[in-house]
Amino acid sequence: MSVIGSDEKVLSSRYMQWYRFSRNPAALIGAVIVLSVLLAALFAPYIVPHPDHAGAVVDFRSRHAAPDMAHWFGADKVGRDIFSRTIFGFRISLLLVFGVLGISVPLGATLGMLAGYFGGWTERIVSGLTNVMLAIPPLVMALAIGNVLEPNLVNAMFAITLIWWTWHARLVYRVSKSISAEDYIEAARMAGASNFHVLTREILPNCIAVISVKTTLDAAFVILFGATLSFLGLGVKPPIPDLGSMVADGRQFLPEKWWEVLAPGFAIFYATLGFNLLGDGLRDMFDVEA
Amino acid sequence: MTHPLLQIFDLNVSFSSYGRSTHVLKDVSLKIEKGERVALIGETGSGKSVTSKSILGTLPDNARIDSGSIRFDGQELFAMNDKEREALKGTAFSIIMQDPLSSFNPVFRIGRHLDDVMYFADKRSGVKSSAKQRMARISDVLRQVQLENPERICAAYPFQLSGGMRQRVLIALALLHRPTLLIADEPGTALDVTTQSEILKLINQLVDEEGLSLLMITHNLGVVRQTADRVYVMRHGEIVEHGPFREIFENPRKDYTKGLIEAIPPLYGDGVVDQPVAETRPIIKLEKVSKSFEVKSGFFGKKAGYPAVKETTLNIAEGEIFGLAGESGSGKTTLARTIMGLLGPTTGRITVATHQHGEGEKVTPLRELTQIVYQNPGTSLNPKRTVSETLSVPLHFVKLPKSEHRTRMVSLLDQVNLPESYLSKYPHELSGGQKQRVAIARALAANPRILVLDEPTSALDVSVQKDVVALLQRLREELGLTYLFISHDLSLMRNFCSHIAIMLKGEIVEQGTPAEVFSNPQHPYTRALIAAIPVMSDAEEEQKPKVSEEERQQFLVQARS
Amino acid sequence: MSGSFLEAFLKRVFGFILVLLVLSVVIFILARVVPGDPARIALGPSASQAQVDAMRQSMGLDDPLIVQYLSYMGKAVTGDLGKSLLSGKQVSEDVLTFLPATVELVIVTVLFMFGVAVPLGVMTAKHRNSWIDNVGRIVSLAGVTVPSFVVAILLQIFVANFVDNWPILGRVDFQLGSLDGPTGFLLIDSILAGRGDIFLSACQHLVLPAFSLALASIGQITRITRSTMIENQRRDHVLTLRSFGVPSNVIVFRYLFKLSSIAPLTIMGLEFASLIGNAFVIEMLFSWGGFASYGLNAIMQKDINAVMAVVLISGIFFIVANLVIDILLALIDPRVSAKEAR
Repeated sequence: MSVIGSDEKVLSSRYMQWYRFSRNPAALIGAVIVLSVLLAALFAPYIVPHPDHAGAVVDFRSRHAAPDMAHWFGADKVGRDIFSRTIFGFRISLLLVFGVLGISVPLGATLGMLAGYFGGWTERIVSGLTNVMLAIPPLVMALAIGNVLEPNLVNAMFAITLIWWTWHARLVYRVSKSISAEDYIEAARMAGASNFHVLTREILPNCIAVISVKTTLDAAFVILFGATLSFLGLGVKPPIPDLGSMVADGRQFLPEKWWEVLAPGFAIFYATLGFNLLGDGLRDMFDVEA
Repeated sequence: MTHPLLQIFDLNVSFSSYGRSTHVLKDVSLKIEKGERVALIGETGSGKSVTSKSILGTLPDNARIDSGSIRFDGQELFAMNDKEREALKGTAFSIIMQDPLSSFNPVFRIGRHLDDVMYFADKRSGVKSSAKQRMARISDVLRQVQLENPERICAAYPFQLSGGMRQRVLIALALLHRPTLLIADEPGTALDVTTQSEILKLINQLVDEEGLSLLMITHNLGVVRQTADRVYVMRHGEIVEHGPFREIFENPRKDYTKGLIEAIPPLYGDGVVDQPVAETRPIIKLEKVSKSFEVKSGFFGKKAGYPAVKETTLNIAEGEIFGLAGESGSGKTTLARTIMGLLGPTTGRITVATHQHGEGEKVTPLRELTQIVYQNPGTSLNPKRTVSETLSVPLHFVKLPKSEHRTRMVSLLDQVNLPESYLSKYPHELSGGQKQRVAIARALAANPRILVLDEPTSALDVSVQKDVVALLQRLREELGLTYLFISHDLSLMRNFCSHIAIMLKGEIVEQGTPAEVFSNPQHPYTRALIAAIPVMSDAEEEQKPKVSEEERQQFLVQARS
Repeated sequence: MSGSFLEAFLKRVFGFILVLLVLSVVIFILARVVPGDPARIALGPSASQAQVDAMRQSMGLDDPLIVQYLSYMGKAVTGDLGKSLLSGKQVSEDVLTFLPATVELVIVTVLFMFGVAVPLGVMTAKHRNSWIDNVGRIVSLAGVTVPSFVVAILLQIFVANFVDNWPILGRVDFQLGSLDGPTGFLLIDSILAGRGDIFLSACQHLVLPAFSLALASIGQITRITRSTMIENQRRDHVLTLRSFGVPSNVIVFRYLFKLSSIAPLTIMGLEFASLIGNAFVIEMLFSWGGFASYGLNAIMQKDINAVMAVVLISGIFFIVANLVIDILLALIDPRVSAKEAR
């Protein structure tokens, strides 16, 4: 039901989107957190007190040091500053995020769009493939591939990507299928538009909102996922700092040396919280289901 | 001193959304006497539904009643507490909901809805009733709305009933507790003309039999004549004028009402326009064209053909406005899409200008020849593309040099009476009528010779409809186009088309000039269809073809159980 | 009605068998194309080339891929998943030993998840922007932001320090002796054996792992329940019932609840994948000794036959869970079975 009179000025959708976003403190906090994580990772060597501790440094005087002025979040079993290593840990997490999503989002979105628009065999093959891939628990798959190959960052990325594109394919498939049924797609085709034009100019712009919301929320999932993998010992090789393996290392000294898991654990929470809040805010703003 | 049954006095309601407050009802006053039938008419967004929700007490959370009063049988509604107001619902007044499908929860049986409404109304009024007693009462009411098999209706899920049946259940729901005031919100609007006419007859009959008062909310002036003694005309949240319906119809005082009435095309009488018949060679020829769709059924996917168009033969002369009339599911849209080359015929042969396509041949859309204007301008324009982006697609297709695009776009917009500044606008910045103009401009951009108009006005308000029709008429004269006009609005077709064909279940049952078809319809279905059109005056009503009860029943099978 | 329901059901089962077949092909190919010789891995680096060749022969690794696949599948349908390269035992025997512990944990987790998430979602939708809405928001955010291994570790520390005599490792108190029941489910076997003490101990042991495992999905399901409830509240049919004075509690808890359970159930089906994945971590942290622990071990040891069996069974687990959910959905929504059978 419309309550706005026909000749009254209709609120622009940009205004409504901005209104929803700006009235949502959680979304703004999320944006700030994400920005801070990005900046921290980018400028890590310049902002941490012990940039050299990101490598293979041993400082036995401060082994297992409790938090103090020199080591804000304590030091680990070989005396490296945990705060410095945590900030550097963001780099690996974000590298994983960009690696996985940089491949799986365009791949999944493209396949989903093609399947939704063309239907027929394209649709059957893509949706069949996604159904099969969804049946494999991603963590199990990643563990299996990661370990049978060689546990390192690239393989972990490869394993996650192998599963991840299916989620985007599924989502974009659903959206593009419903858009393909709209009159304006047929109208564009009647007006002589090529399939390429229809896909890139008519359908894609209508999928952008959904894709960006899903991608933001996924960033959080990938961080969690990568942390879980490296917690199980399938992440990067030491001494490169990685949040998941830092938690795994620190766990051996629990509960006495609790600070050793505190900072990396909190860092994972902080980054995923940021992406989640931002993703939720974008979802409300665009008013889409993702 | 008796008081009116319902009296609304200076009601002001506003909605707040996105930090802005919109004044939706402005000093609305309205009165319904006992046993009176009152109509509230207005276009989309005029505030009719908000008025009915204010009476019922079902306004959404972001609505605020600023001032005014509503009295029912002398009692002030706004002075009551929640419990007292709840007690009135369904028993003092009740509403016939508008959209028969979405008005039911899809995962509950019809009987569950009816029984819950009855159970809680009984509980409020302190009546004890067993499930069996309630079922008996529900069955009575269902029979009263001419649903013959109450047990079957109650056991069905909403999606298993036809639209007409669901609308009848909604009426039954409103009658369960014998209210004194019945509010009908555009009943039957979503249904076919013949079913809608049955529904209106039923409501009238029930109002008479039970001595109810009726508040009919509608945008259709023809419906008003059938169902109201007095009329309130509403616009932008204000009552424009009111009075006995005959007075308003024959002597409207306000320009807005006048415009509204003049916008309705007459079916019979002096006002009817006869379009000149085109005496040219046919541009479209159909020979025994059939189109069936494969429907999978059964576990192993046995395919069965569902015939949408059966053995249709017809010619459309160049320059003609060829009207294709029929109710939903009659196959008229499928036929048009087959002509456009969007679908291939299952059997038969189609010739459009010099192009031919027939059985088993690969079809390509005849883009240079035919273009289409869709029913709903809201969905036929891509929300993410500006007017100029939308128009550039067909210009690119006809290989117009990029440098000339803008000039051509401006002249296209000029043809549909839109200024150049609209080129940079997005669809959401346009009104419904403006969007439809852009859609027409897009269709014209590729210089087609034939334009398929798929109910181009049915999603628009009456006053806008008139402008769009006038525009289409002018364009045909200027550009020498041929129109294939698909519609179920027969009064519009009477005046707009030069030739008309009536479709029923995939077959053309009758065709001729509108004057012939309307003055002397041959097929009983055509007669039933014309008889069902709501008209504006008694004079027109009398000129409608007479339909016997059996004939009427023959074409209303779905509405009954 | 029932005919179409049966038809829809058969169609589903058929579809799932198809998915399973393709899944087995995918896994098989992955297992065979990965670098590293399974025979070499099985024998260790000190074995001679001749030994490795003999091993390859006996494992059928020199046959064409399609022959290998067919012979693997031929055996697999009879329950023969090959021998563990490390222990030399039949993989299927190992799986049968370890599976019940995991199934028990997952079922308890799912019940717990629904018991918390759905009511929470409904309450937060009903009382929007109240304190309960904020509680729901925090729970769902915590679920999606805190990794389950962190939750598990935090819970273990907390319980170890502040709760006396509450178990943080294992399935049951060893001092109560072992129980060799027919099902392998401790909760059922203990009742069958009339051992109330074991039942109670098993329940206690389940609490922490089930909670750690459930939290992530609780977040998702609470959120989806809330948003579908709110969306459905705007629908016309709610207006119908309101217009006739049906109390809002009845509208929410009867009409909206059933309609709004469709979306969370659908999501639940997909969540199973991450649930099974997380079980690998949780079982390790709680020394659960179930199928997931076995799988993790097999993966770490590169025991290729066992790894294939683990991935395949995880897939079957997911598929069966989704089949159950589809049946539930068809029971809830009459439109589903009508549409499927068409």
